[in-house]
Amino acid sequence: MNNDLLKARLNLHAVLRNLEDLPELDTRAAEMIRAWRLAVCFSVHGGPAATLEFSEGRCRHHAACPPHPDVKLFFVSPAHLNAMFAGNSSPLPLKGFSKLGFLKHEFAELTRRLQHFLRPEPERLAEPAYLRVHTLLTLLTGVFAVPHLAALDPVATEIAAATPRGSLQFVVDSEGPVAHLVYSSNGVESRKGALEQPSACMWFADWPAACRILSGTLDAFTATGKGLLRLDGTIPLIDNTSLIMERAAGYLA
Amino acid sequence: MHTFDYPQSRMLFDRACEVIPGGIYGHFSPAPLGQTAAFPFFAARAEGARFQDVDGNEFIDYMCAYGPMILGYAHRAVDDAFRNQLALADTVSIASPRMVELAELLVERVAAADWAFFAKNGADVTAYAVTIARAATGRRKIVAIRGGYHGTHPWMQAPGHHGIAEDDHRHCIRIPWNDFAALEHVVAEHEGDIAGFIATPYHHPTFGDSVLPAEGYWQNVEALLRKHGIVFILDDVRCGFRLHRGGSNERYGFHPDLICFCKALANGYPIAALVGTDALRTVTASVFHTGSYWFSAAPMAAAIATLQELDHVDAPRLLEIYGRKLNDGLIRIAKSHGFTLRVTGEPCMAYYRITDDESQMLHQRWCAECTRRGAYFAPHHNWFVSTAHSDADLQRTWDIADEAFRALKTAA
Ligand SMILES: Cc1ncc(COP(=O)(O)O)c(C=O)c1O
Repeated sequence: MNNDLLKARLNLHAVLRNLEDLPELDTRAAEMIRAWRLAVCFSVHGGPAATLEFSEGRCRHHAACPPHPDVKLFFVSPAHLNAMFAGNSSPLPLKGFSKLGFLKHEFAELTRRLQHFLRPEPERLAEPAYLRVHTLLTLLTGVFAVPHLAALDPVATEIAAATPRGSLQFVVDSEGPVAHLVYSSNGVESRKGALEQPSACMWFADWPAACRILSGTLDAFTATGKGLLRLDGTIPLIDNTSLIMERAAGYLA
Repeated sequence: MHTFDYPQSRMLFDRACEVIPGGIYGHFSPAPLGQTAAFPFFAARAEGARFQDVDGNEFIDYMCAYGPMILGYAHRAVDDAFRNQLALADTVSIASPRMVELAELLVERVAAADWAFFAKNGADVTAYAVTIARAATGRRKIVAIRGGYHGTHPWMQAPGHHGIAEDDHRHCIRIPWNDFAALEHVVAEHEGDIAGFIATPYHHPTFGDSVLPAEGYWQNVEALLRKHGIVFILDDVRCGFRLHRGGSNERYGFHPDLICFCKALANGYPIAALVGTDALRTVTASVFHTGSYWFSAAPMAAAIATLQELDHVDAPRLLEIYGRKLNDGLIRIAKSHGFTLRVTGEPCMAYYRITDDESQMLHQRWCAECTRRGAYFAPHHNWFVSTAHSDADLQRTWDIADEAFRALKTAA
């Protein structure tokens, strides 16, 4: 098993992808990127690539490199990329030398802002607004990790193979549908937003409940009994997805 | 029709969560019920085919304790046998005569049995059967059916489940149900390394339709296993004594080497049995397996009374008649409301699914609407009927089902 490759895909497509949502959830992040107009590409030799395209106060994440990015950061291996995410290494800039200062300062500040929400100090969770952003990004990280885990983690692959075809919608009562997964013969796909007719629905009563369930401080059995979590529809889809999602922690810890 | 609320159940659940991980664990956990809010969590009393929850709501019980109850709750003859034995001796420092008597009774009625062994739970005896198969053959691999359930021992669990290591099920090969070619393939691939084959009499997975054995399936399986010296284990924990007085293999015409019984054996008192053929007697004696309560005599007395009573009323016939009537009625009522209710498996322990909605949310809502009106229907497990279910229960169940369908349509 190549842990580094999976880890790199999770870093690029599940963790970094959150920068797409962060500015819409957090005014500080929105402020930071307001005037940015550039595409930053992360490219791993023989491995995955991703681009963050900033314009008009928004960030879009693409799972590939465009032909002419403004900045192209090259990594010799998935391990090299993972080391950068762990703060232990720097990429080789192939393009956009004039943007090195931007990367080192402005962009780094944005990623620190993301970390601020993804790795909470426990006392911050008492603030409802912070808890909501933290939980939403954690949920999205998990949802977007599933396809990569299902493809490359051997146990997750086995679980995914035994999972019924269909779609799973994640709903937080106050928020509505947040994201969904689709299991088909082509594998697993993750997307934000609502589905017309999901095969299954994982419904959280509120953000604090979702936060505790996703962080593992409240188990799903207690939560369903207390009405804080409801599993509707094709329950094996939910059970199996939870098992797959939990495996992300082993790579992203 | 009055619909139920469960304040006392919920208060108890909150207390439970403080002192019990998950509040209510295992197959009694509310988690897989879907519309959890519609279900009671704690029972106060039970009699015949009905139980009352801690809020005083009464339910016609179609789960029958998930299988143990077959003659009705608080059955006089069984409970008397239990109480009488309790007054004499239950768990003591040496074995009870009831153990010998119960073994004799099983050997007499179960054609495949030359001996019997007792434990408490289904998994005690499925695990024992597998160990015996390995000891008897000197081989490692066990073949089981994908989606089949034999208890919670690590080797029986699916990959990725919490606390299960890859090695735990390395020697357990899963094949699809009713797929004789798959068994042939596995046997050829692991020639000389397969100790045993374990399966239930028919396929009754949770979250899926039940599937009866295909014509000739069991006979082909038996012939192949014999040819390769593979121990043939029937897990009759769930079906045992519901389909046939002498083990469900009699119903389908085949001859296992070992049969695991549990649920209906003592109408709710804790006991499981493994029975087997003469050929496996000595090796079984050499495989050490025991438990603190496996010699308790009162459940053995209850089992003896249960088996006698099952014969007395010809239970499999009664159960089948009730099951067929129940199912025909429910299908008809569903149809009258424009729904299709699919019923699979044996009529007395069928699996139900409304097929108009593939996601099963509609089915979950229907089970919820029935339950909160007094017919206890778990949505994704086969149901059970008992000899205590009466025509009055049947009519009431149909009325509830009818109104529940109406409620679904009103909500839609
Ligand atoms: C077919 C089958 N085998 C084994 C078991 C395990 O029995 P127990 O839960 O008593 O260990 C069950 C329980 O539902 C069962 O249905």
